[in-house]
Amino acid sequence: MTWFYVRWLGLFILSMVFVFLVDQRYTHTLKTIPLKTVRTQPASQTPVRVMGMVSSGSLQGNLGEGQAAFELVDGADTLSVLYNGLPPENLRELKTVVMIGQWDPAAQVFHAHEMGLVPHFGFVVSAYAVAFLPIMVIIFFMGRKVMLLFQEIKQSKLYEPEAPSHVDNG
Amino acid sequence: MQRFKGWFGGGAVLCLVAGGYTGLLTSPPDYYQGEIVRIMYVHVPLAHTALFSYSVLFGGSLWYLWKHEPFIDNMCHAAAGISALFTLLALITGSIWAKPTWNTWWTWDPRLVSFAVLLLILGGYLMLRTFLIDDPEKEGRYAAVVAIVGFIDLPIVHFSVEWWRTLHQPQSISSRGVAISDDLLLPLTLMSIGFTLLFVYMLIIRTQLLYLTSLLHAKKGRLLSQVHLSQAGS
Repeated sequence: MTWFYVRWLGLFILSMVFVFLVDQRYTHTLKTIPLKTVRTQPASQTPVRVMGMVSSGSLQGNLGEGQAAFELVDGADTLSVLYNGLPPENLRELKTVVMIGQWDPAAQVFHAHEMGLVPHFGFVVSAYAVAFLPIMVIIFFMGRKVMLLFQEIKQSKLYEPEAPSHVDNG
Repeated sequence: MQRFKGWFGGGAVLCLVAGGYTGLLTSPPDYYQGEIVRIMYVHVPLAHTALFSYSVLFGGSLWYLWKHEPFIDNMCHAAAGISALFTLLALITGSIWAKPTWNTWWTWDPRLVSFAVLLLILGGYLMLRTFLIDDPEKEGRYAAVVAIVGFIDLPIVHFSVEWWRTLHQPQSISSRGVAISDDLLLPLTLMSIGFTLLFVYMLIIRTQLLYLTSLLHAKKGRLLSQVHLSQAGS
């Protein structure tokens, strides 16, 4: 039984390493910063990701040439965005978008150069958890039960040949 | 088969780790779906494995009706339980994928409905084996017939996206070719192999579990009856 538990401990550690790596990737490349937080940041060249809905009636500029100005809304917070990049396909009013760029505190404008899709990473994590957790739990308990049955059969010596029955049927 | 159990388990872990790594960490997001496409790497392999495991159940049931080997009956019983699990998980992960892409958890689409019917068939099969019949031989025979009749749902599941106008996307890998980029194909293939190996590994353990349980019951029953008969004789 010890080897059985050691093997599962190894699998558990491997899973935790995997979860850590996925969390790191999410934090570094997908996580968005709330609009309120961005507005309080000092000037920086490091690109950040912000998510919000394009405010109705605010979208201006020439989308075909990749230039646009609009207001991004998230609850009570608003952020002015100047987009300058590749012509965006999915940019329209009332659509929730992710904009990647730098905050300019002097002009109080977010200079975006790239547009991303809403990550929906919670759905991805849920799907993987639903796929793997029940299977792992079931395999663990099935494997454990097999080991216990082996032990039971061994201890009660049920594998030994049975003594012939001496019951007189006549 | 029993002695290769570790190889199947080890192979499954290797493929799933490699597939999970490429799927979650290195493969690019889809142009239209973005990050959500990563659900495909678990949903599609789970669905494939569910269909594969039902095919094993179907083949085993035919074999059992022909040869009447108790080992095959045990294997079919084991395959049905695992197939039900994979079918359920494929439906749940599909539902999770549907919410951000179709904006609904469930829709009465032919592919979804035929897959849900497969789960009902497996549920019926397992209920028949658990509650309805006491005679093991009769139970095995009736269950095999149910599994063979239920197999009619598999072609319906497979071809539903071609026979009817459906919301579900058609097969990305079919006889017409591969309609998916290599970056996405690698994790999908690794995960599919991983889940198939995992199914075989689970099938071996569960068959063993059912065999040992029945062996223990039979032995204990015989020992008890011997004690009972010897007491009655004395």
